[in-house]
Amino acid sequence: MTKFETDNFQYDKNPSTKIIEKAGMNVKEIKIVVVDDSPFSVAMLTNILISRGFVVAGSANSLEEAVEAVTTLKPDIVTMDMTMPGADGIECTKAIRAVCPHLKVIIVSSMMDDEIVHRAQKARISGYVQKPVDEEELCLLIQRIMSDDELFLQLDGLYYNAFREALADTFNKFFKSVPDFQEKQTTREEQVSRGMSVVMGIIGKYGGRMILDMSEEAAENIAKFLLKKEEVTKDQIVNVMGEISNIVAGNACSLLNKSNSLFGLRVAPPTIVYGECIKISKTVLDTVSSAKAETDFGEVYFNVGFNRGVN
Amino acid sequence: MNKDYTESFSIAFLDVMPQLGITDVQLKGETECGHLIRSPGVVVVIGITGDLHGNVYFTMQESCANSIASTMMGGMEVLQFDEMVQSAVSELSNMLAATACTNLSEKGIGADISTPTLIHGDFTADASLKQASCLEMLVGENLFGIYLSLETK
Repeated sequence: MTKFETDNFQYDKNPSTKIIEKAGMNVKEIKIVVVDDSPFSVAMLTNILISRGFVVAGSANSLEEAVEAVTTLKPDIVTMDMTMPGADGIECTKAIRAVCPHLKVIIVSSMMDDEIVHRAQKARISGYVQKPVDEEELCLLIQRIMSDDELFLQLDGLYYNAFREALADTFNKFFKSVPDFQEKQTTREEQVSRGMSVVMGIIGKYGGRMILDMSEEAAENIAKFLLKKEEVTKDQIVNVMGEISNIVAGNACSLLNKSNSLFGLRVAPPTIVYGECIKISKTVLDTVSSAKAETDFGEVYFNVGFNRGVN
Repeated sequence: MNKDYTESFSIAFLDVMPQLGITDVQLKGETECGHLIRSPGVVVVIGITGDLHGNVYFTMQESCANSIASTMMGGMEVLQFDEMVQSAVSELSNMLAATACTNLSEKGIGADISTPTLIHGDFTADASLKQASCLEMLVGENLFGIYLSLETK
């Protein structure tokens, strides 16, 4: 069998087409690391990728090299062979995700059966391409994955205002007064509840959650106002808080879906939390925004965040 | 509660935990409970929607969270319920719910999950749906609760 010399493959080491232009999207170069134990496959993939204008930042042929390459080169995408000495592609993916949790990985392998696909899905692999690689298929996959990233940036630019608007609008309709919002915060600190907190899971192209927090007294006053009663029960307070949160999160997600239907956001039912001491852990979300607002009933705090990880 | 739902979650737990090095796990029992969940210290909430709609709650004491996190991090000593532990338990909850959804999809039931929210302290969590099922899991001697507040859409 002919021994393949990587150097025999001619590829442009300084590609002039470093930049991928996509209609309506920011011009951005896409940096890729190729992980494969076969020099032939590395050279083949590198050739294909460079000819299509991607930047191949480096290659690796073992788990250790892959971890090092990802740490130093910080690629956008890794192409991953399934079989490598000492570790398979899924184990290798887990190892590189330990240093770079949201790295996108494409499995490029000659083996492709149900078990591999199943394991790949569990390991949050972005896609798979079977060897011999179809050039068009691989490039389309990379572009699709990267436009998912653009979509996340779009959501990132929109969601805070959508939730703020939905909260302001809900208060305006119910209480004929608009909350006075303080400055938006993007820090990820542990939150100690004011007394009552509502957690709403958000599900769609990107997962997330909203938290609405206020004192029990504020929640009680809101319930009294809406139910037009002097006295309200705990159950009634809880129901009112759940319903208000449902409306705010539902309206905000509708606004976002209207601006781009690809978000496909839906909300899970509210969980209302109350008690002596409620601490909401610092999140592991990729983006989070929060603000306090003064209302007629006291301070209200909302916190919304999303994760890039595609469901 | 629909047997497909409870089975998917208990199997997910019994499958995932040993993969993380936590081998002494079992299903102790299953009870029907109301919508109020009393926090034993730590509660992780994950929203679910699709063919079914609701929330799943993973509950445990801080000491149980510490011991799980310690094993997940390769036996690293864990002295307090700190950020590292909270992050590990959030990630574990995410894995459990995602695996349960994969199990559900194999039964032809589509379900997607939200990101986890970890709450700790002395509180009650009120789930919106009237009834929940509680799967009482054991991790060694520690109780690990999986509350399913789910309805078919």
